[in-house]
Amino acid sequence: MRVPWRTTLLSYTFLAPALILLAVFTFYPLLYGSYLGFTEYNGARFAQGLDPRWVGTANFEKLLADPLFLTALKNSVKYLLVVPALQLAALAVAVLVNKQLPGMAIFRAGYYVPVVTSVSLAAVMWEWVFNREGTLNWLLRSLGLTSPEAQFGWLNSEAWAFWAVMLVTFWRGFGYYMVLYLAGLQTIPEELEEAAVLDGASAWQRFWKITVPLMRPTILLCTLLSTIAALRVLEEVLVLTNGGPLNSTYTALMYVYAKAFQGFDFDYGLASAAGLVVAAVALILSFVNFKLFNRPEEDQA
Amino acid sequence: MKRALSILTLSLGMTALSSASAQTTVTFWTWYLSPKFDNYIKTTIAAFEKANPGIKVQWFDKQDSMVQDFIASVNLGNAPDVVNLNIDETQKAAQNGFLLAASDLTPPATLQRTFYGQSLKNFTSGGKVFAYPWYGWLNEGVLLYNPDLLKKAGLTRAPRSTSEMLNYAKTIKDKTGAYGWVPALKDPNTASFLGYFYAEGLPIYAADGKAAFNTAQHAALLNQFVTLYRGGYIPEDAVRREAFQLATELYAQNRVAMIVGGPQALTRIKDTNPGLYAKTVVTEAPVGRANVQTGGSMGLVIPKASKNPEAAAKLAAFFTNNANQLAFAKVVPIVPTTLGAQTSVQFKVTSQDPVAKATGLVGASGRFINPGYRAPGNSDDLYKNFNDNIEAALLGKKTAQQALNDSVTYWNANMKK
Repeated sequence: MRVPWRTTLLSYTFLAPALILLAVFTFYPLLYGSYLGFTEYNGARFAQGLDPRWVGTANFEKLLADPLFLTALKNSVKYLLVVPALQLAALAVAVLVNKQLPGMAIFRAGYYVPVVTSVSLAAVMWEWVFNREGTLNWLLRSLGLTSPEAQFGWLNSEAWAFWAVMLVTFWRGFGYYMVLYLAGLQTIPEELEEAAVLDGASAWQRFWKITVPLMRPTILLCTLLSTIAALRVLEEVLVLTNGGPLNSTYTALMYVYAKAFQGFDFDYGLASAAGLVVAAVALILSFVNFKLFNRPEEDQA
Repeated sequence: MKRALSILTLSLGMTALSSASAQTTVTFWTWYLSPKFDNYIKTTIAAFEKANPGIKVQWFDKQDSMVQDFIASVNLGNAPDVVNLNIDETQKAAQNGFLLAASDLTPPATLQRTFYGQSLKNFTSGGKVFAYPWYGWLNEGVLLYNPDLLKKAGLTRAPRSTSEMLNYAKTIKDKTGAYGWVPALKDPNTASFLGYFYAEGLPIYAADGKAAFNTAQHAALLNQFVTLYRGGYIPEDAVRREAFQLATELYAQNRVAMIVGGPQALTRIKDTNPGLYAKTVVTEAPVGRANVQTGGSMGLVIPKASKNPEAAAKLAAFFTNNANQLAFAKVVPIVPTTLGAQTSVQFKVTSQDPVAKATGLVGASGRFINPGYRAPGNSDDLYKNFNDNIEAALLGKKTAQQALNDSVTYWNANMKK
């Protein structure tokens, strides 16, 4: 069917504001940022009003030779361990709280509180937990698992700081993904569950044969979002450990942030190149996610 | 008559127009001064506007994002005219070409007549002064201590040297469980440990400008701190948090016996633990073998992108003059950077109140303000590397000598001239 040109024009007129905003705030920065990754554009050039200077792949070579960037990238990739833990926990709890029980609304809202808590407030709270004299050590001591002499500040330990920060990421993201999973669970037709119950399927079988396959699009979305968020983790690290101790929590986004925004010695070229590397890793992982969770319908049955 | 009235109206209109066009608006950015010092800043601005009827001042107080906002405003073409930066940031901004030299806007002789020579030197880069030195502080300005904790540790007087301070830290912890003090081991965005080298008379740079802080004496000094840290005599958070903040917090909880620094800590202790504030003893701080102080200062800089540099220079000079710095010192215990402050009677008043006593002790000591090291070119990278190496030594990953050697090698390979 041929669409009249007036209708086409009207459609584009309605789309125009969104397209303009996208072009200005998304596509232009994306393209310009990518271009900057191949240029020399630092504080000195910027202050003199000089344009970026094309340097080809020099920034990428510099990154590969910088042990700090390699450590940061390694930490960011290691940080992805939070993704399966976060998704499994969020899905499991969503299934559990997807019942119409009294007080469930309060229970669900409680899980969502960390999502809307400011990171600085969360940092103060978690400092109380992780300090040498904090609640975590108190709990472990009360359970007889540690002695007062063996206690340490979790955020000051090279072995534990990374996991401590990751726990905060888990805590902050859990409610958000749980809400998405809850929304996904609401779309599963009740008749399917009822039919499975009549057929004698156990709860475990219903979960694997009905819930998981039908939730696959939601799982894909949540995993993608969570993967990208893990690669971009910055706030928790900045406020809790500032990348330490011994750079054990220094992530790739911290490197980008330090190079782009800290002080007058900034280097937009190098920061953009680092950002492109992180984006490339995110793209590869997104592709893997699609391959894992976006299989054709016939495979899902 | 009608004609005369028309001419009068026209000429009055022209006068109004010309005075409106002669009005210059100067944008002034301070750093972390609002809301606590709103009254002082607004009063000083009003006095400036009264003395300079053609200039209007628009004041903004910036906090966390000061440097980022500065850079963004330069990019957007609406740079402020006067900006409050510290010594380190001024050096970085000057090295990267963001600033106009104060010594090009105000005759150097006037600057020399107004400020301490060392204060001007702190803001000098490439032979030019890049800021009007403003209020300062001394890192070893005063020593505040909790007399109960010292008594419990069997100590009868305050320490008088760095080595005594290190011994006190051990005794106090062993006898009371509280920490002696919190040294600035690796404060963020700077290389604070270099200050200890300077205080002991150890060089940071060689004559040719290369980093030279890795002699056996440097390593021995660092090793003393490493031994204390690894023995649990320094709070482990000192590698993660700014020392002065941490010290002030722990002192108010009776968990640290001494604070070395400016009287500004006292105002916070007064708020959080008035009982402890009342009995806090204020005395002269111990100094290192070189018998020098370290300290910092704020300055007022004029960005190269300022549209009103002359008016901006007037405002910067006004805010930093002797009278206005002394007035500021009455509001908060700062150390003025003006020559006139050393003879000011306001610092000769004796008082038992800790803040007043501390202010009296340090107020006239602006000539000692010296960070102890000059920001190297590419300092953000170099400071991070230095701090990472100090941390590696503290956590036992490297020996003190190895950590300093590695840092010196990195500095000399990456320092921009």
